Parts: sequence; C-alpha cells; structure tokens
Amino acid sequence: MLMARDIWKTYRRDAVEVRVLNGLNLEVHTGEFLSIVGASGSGKSTLLHLLGVLDKPDSGEIILDGKRIDNLPSKERDRLRNRTFGYIFQFYHLLPELSTLDNVLMPAYVAHSFMNWWQTRRQWRKRAHELLEKVGLSLRIKHRPRELSGGEMQRAAIARALIMNPRVLLADEPTGNLDADSGRVIIQLLREINREEGVTIIMVTHNLDIVPMTDRVVRMCNGQITDDPGLLPSSSTAQLLITV
Amino acid sequence: MYKILLCARYLQTRYLAFVCIVSVMLGVATLIVVNAVMSGFSTKLKDRLHGILSDVVIDTERTDGFEVLDENGYPLTPEQMIVKIKSNEILRDRIQAITPTIETFAILQFRYRGTVIAKPVRLIGIDPQSRAAVGGFAEYLVRQKGSATPSFDLTAEAIQRHEWNRKQFEFQAASSLAQPTKMNIDDPNAVPPPNMEIDKGIPQPKPYGAIVGYAIAHFRYRDDKGQTVEEVALEEGDDVIITTAGGQELKPVWGSFLVTDYLKTEMSEYDQSFVFVPLDQLQRIRGMIGRATAFQIKLTNYERDKDIVTKELRTLFRNSPEVRIATWEEHQGPLLAAIDVERGILNLLLFMIVGVAGFSILAIFTMIVSEKYRDIGIMKSLGASNWGVLQIFIGYGLLLGTVGCALGTLMGVCITNNINEIEAVLSGLTGRAVFPRDVYYFKEIPTNIDSWTIILIDAGAVATAMLFSLIPAWHAASLHPVRALRFE
Repeated sequence: MLMARDIWKTYRRDAVEVRVLNGLNLEVHTGEFLSIVGASGSGKSTLLHLLGVLDKPDSGEIILDGKRIDNLPSKERDRLRNRTFGYIFQFYHLLPELSTLDNVLMPAYVAHSFMNWWQTRRQWRKRAHELLEKVGLSLRIKHRPRELSGGEMQRAAIARALIMNPRVLLADEPTGNLDADSGRVIIQLLREINREEGVTIIMVTHNLDIVPMTDRVVRMCNGQITDDPGLLPSSSTAQLLITV
Repeated sequence: MYKILLCARYLQTRYLAFVCIVSVMLGVATLIVVNAVMSGFSTKLKDRLHGILSDVVIDTERTDGFEVLDENGYPLTPEQMIVKIKSNEILRDRIQAITPTIETFAILQFRYRGTVIAKPVRLIGIDPQSRAAVGGFAEYLVRQKGSATPSFDLTAEAIQRHEWNRKQFEFQAASSLAQPTKMNIDDPNAVPPPNMEIDKGIPQPKPYGAIVGYAIAHFRYRDDKGQTVEEVALEEGDDVIITTAGGQELKPVWGSFLVTDYLKTEMSEYDQSFVFVPLDQLQRIRGMIGRATAFQIKLTNYERDKDIVTKELRTLFRNSPEVRIATWEEHQGPLLAAIDVERGILNLLLFMIVGVAGFSILAIFTMIVSEKYRDIGIMKSLGASNWGVLQIFIGYGLLLGTVGCALGTLMGVCITNNINEIEAVLSGLTGRAVFPRDVYYFKEIPTNIDSWTIILIDAGAVATAMLFSLIPAWHAASLHPVRALRFE
C-alpha cells in the first residue's frame, strides 16, 4: 500500500550536513499496525514525515497504491495530508485557542470552504461527537487543551486524526509524553481503531512495552531499516524484540 | 472555513491584538477629527468668501469705474450695463440677481475716548437691497440680520445718539474757544486751531448711514485676568469720517457718515476692514456719478452655469482688458488653493499616525507569528496550504484594521460631534482657552463630517493594516511544516 524506495535525506544548516536516511526501503501493508523502533537520531521521525508528505526526500520515491506521491504538486500533497493521512504527535499539538471539539473538527474545517461547511456542518459535528465519545472525551467537548490531562489531549489528537476517515495514521511517539497507564490506553485505542476500522497505522516509538501490541516492528539504525521480519504474528514480534 | 475561525479566535484571545486595534483606532479617530475641523474651517471660510463675493464678479482696474461705450460712443451707466447683460439670451435665465458696486480703499476716522482713531478700510458702495438679492450680505448684518430689504436708514435711537454727540462736540468746541490756543508763530507748519464759529448758521448736511465691520467697531483686548473683553468703540449713530481718493483724479475726498449697522461675517479679515456706504453717496464723493467699479452677479445654478456665463460675459464685453470677469473661486483662487494644499499636507502628516499603527501591527504580528510557529506546523500537517496560512494572517490584519477603523470612526465622529463641549471641559481644566474665539471670530469650532473622507480614511487604514501584516504573513506561509512542528 505505502512504500518507501531508496530514500535519502540530508539536513543542512550552513556548512553542516547531517545525513539522516541512507537509501531506506520500507513497505507497509494495508490494515497493518507497524511500529518503528530505533535509537534517537536514527531517522524514525524523518521517515514518518516523508511517508506523510510533510517533507520531501532528497532522492528516492514514496509510493501510495502504486502512485508516486513525493513529487506531487503542493496542492495535492496538502490534500493527501488532509484526507489520506492522519497525524498523531508526541506533544499532541492541539491548537490552544480552540475547544476540544473545534480541534477535532479542524481537518474538516481545512477541507471545506465556508459555504460547504455551512451545508455539511451537522454531519461533521455528529462524527466529531462520535469520535470524542469513542476516545472517552464526550464530557470534555468545550474544554480548551490546557484544561485537559496529557492522556486526554492525546485522545483528542487521535479523534482529530480520525475525523476525515484517513487510510493511514502516522503516530510519532504517541505515548512518549504519557505515563505507562495512559500510554497503554492510547495503544489499546489505536489497536481498536486499526482492527475495527481497518486503518493502517505506522507508529514510531521508543517504548518497547507497547510494541508487542502491534502487527510488525521494524528497527532503524543509521538511516536504514536493519531488521524487518515482514508481517509476523504477535508472538514472533515479541521474539524479534529480544534482539532489538 | 478554518481561516475565519482562527482569525476570530486569535482576535478574541490575543491581547496583543488589542494594542494593534487601539493604534489603528487612535490614528483613524485623529484623522477624522482633524479633517472634520479642517473641513469645517474650510467650508466656513469658503462660505464667507463666496458670500461676500457672490457667484460671478465683473470688475475693472480703472479707479473711475467701467467705461463701456454704447453704439453712439457714450459710456454706459451701471443700470444700462445691467440691462445689456440681462437682455442677452444666454445670460437672461441664468442670472438670478445683479448689483453694481464701487470698491476702493479708504481711511476711516472716528473719536474714541477723546482721541481720533484712523483705520485703513475697504470701502464698498452698494445699493443695499439689490446687494442683498445677490446674497452674502444681509445674513451677516447684526441689526438687520436676514432682512430682505436692508437699508442704511438710521433708527430713532441712532439719530438721538447722533444729536447727543453733536451737542457734546459743540459744547467742547465752545469751551476750547473760550480759552483760545495760542499759535506758535515760530513754527511755519503749525495748524491753526479750529474755529467752530465758521460753521455757525450753515445747515447740517443730510446724514448718510454706513455699515461697518464688527471688528472695526468693537475693540477686543485681554484684561489683567487674561479674559477677553469686548468694548464697543462705535455705536449706532456715531459719526465716522471716510477719506478716500477721487475717481477721476487721485486727490483726497471725504464724507461724513453715521454708523447704522455692523457686518459680522466671523471672518476677521472682512470684519476688520469692510465698510459699506450708499452707492449713490460714494459716487458723489468720488465724483463718478453713473459709474461703478464692479458688478456682483448671482447665478440661478452656479455649478451648472458658471463656465457658460463667464464665457458669454467675456464675449459681451469683447474681452476688454479693462474688464475682468471671474467666478468667486477664480477670484479667491490662491487662497482656496492654499487651503487645499494645507489640508493635503496635514492629511499626509497625520496619515503617518496610521503608518505608526501599521508598524506596531508589523511588530506585533511578527511576535504573534513567532509564537505561532508550532500552530502553523500543525495546520500544515492537517492539510492547510501555504496560501491558506497566508490568508489567516492577512485576514487577521484585515480584521484588526476593520475593528480598529470601526472603533476609530465611532470615536472620531463622537469627538467631532461634541468637540465644543470637550473644548469647554479642557479649557475649564487647564484654565486656558483651547479655542480662543477672539482669534477666529467663530462662536464655536466649525466641523464638517464628510462621509467620503471617512470612507477614504478607513480604506487607507485597513489597507495599511493589511499591508503591514503581509510580511509576517508571508513569513508564516513560507515556514517549513517539519521545522515549524519542531519549534520550541
């Protein structure tokens, strides 16, 4: 479904060059819950940004359903980020001026002009309420982000990522800023979404405790995938982790 | 949709935005108030200039008046000239009223507290009723204000005061004769003392009325407490002697008149210099019977007819270099141009206030954008385009400008409508007149709110707010989403 082929990426600041990805290859299957693990600076987040067309590789290709997406015009890339991909960040990244409901609805606001929104606002609000109920925030609809706990903010971010029915969820350390219990709740929620709605999830994490709950785990080192056992049952994933 | 939502939310939640709004508001309010006052002064000045001059003026440089000859080579009298003008087919329906005048320089003398006061004045001989028909005359008279038939006739009180003055003068003269002043025979230039006996038995000449400028007849000065005091120097019935030059030859001629009314235009230049006397009497004094130096013409529709009338009049007088035909605007061209230039420069300078507001928007927006780096990254990760982010911040600038303009307009109009009350309060608080009425001869600060001026000011301020928000907005739009998301 989603494929990264021979991806190279170097960050430059003045004369300093830092090569982050070195000819990386990765294939993600439809409906898969993939976790990417690796040391800090191994290029996990960069890979996630490239897969979600937030950034462009220096060379190589990102292919979605057989179609190259890394070289699309910016308008189509914006549309992909809005409709096809959903993002979940470590620091939640909710907009502080907006209520929980408005934060969840934000991708829908982005997708619609004022007139279109006016015509379809009821169905979008209904969906936002359903999602907030699903993530357990139905009583926090009018609260601002600063009035929510870390776990609640991350659940609001998940609801926001799901509002447009994306095909791929890109989660960058979704439990990185949470305690163990809250982190477990978030992963269970993602697992549930993956199973019930068939959403493909690519999760970058440091937390090895949550990795057994995913379908497949790949390890990154020096900008490359070093261990990719392919699609494995959960027990095999646990076995792989022993070596990670 | 997200642009509208974010603009509205940023406006509600960012207190820095309030600073931008206040900057724009103060700039707009100042511009509106200053423009309204300038326009008020300008309108009032134009009204006065127009009123005194009437719509079209025909005048001549000749001191003895027009010399327009008829077919037989005889000079036309003012009445014949009016008939000639009115019999023209083009002019007939376009001219509402016409009146002849004589305008010349003169010296006005009168007694005030035992001393003789002499003032240079602009002497105008008029027929009061036809002058009133032309407009810009009767409405400025003090006693006969707005009268359709103003005159130089003396009131009973004025005649009584004149008689009393005359007796007083005769008594003083008789007293001085009882103790004759000794002439200094060593001084060849010595003036002999007046001998009132000479006038005895000679019948007194018929008294003619004169309408004098209010500021000529009233002296204003500040007392020890700094308060403006107005003292009447010339009352109705008081004698004035007017000395001017003869029409045919430039030798001094004079006439005695009695004050019968005042002209109060609230234009200090006019009120300090204008003296109106009967046209026929001035013609006699100057030796120019049947002549006039100017015609004042009122048109039926000034804006529509001014060009065609002046053109036709020039043709009628065969473009004679001695006859000058001009609209009141052409007559006062340099002064009107000076007012416009002054207003333009003042607007330019004051618009710098809005420019300062623009720079505060630039500074505050730059701060807001740097605070919002991560939000911009979030928006872009959710699918917002660069153009969309640009629109958020330009829209925000537009919103701040619009709100600032709306509040500024409200404030400016409120201040303008209550400017005299505000001036009274400020004067009371500071103990010093903010608007000294004796300087301008206006009862109150004149204002004129022009809706087009407000629209232009508001449009300029909104455009400035948008323009200055463009740079930070562009910066926000060009942010790389990944870099923005990583910003701490």
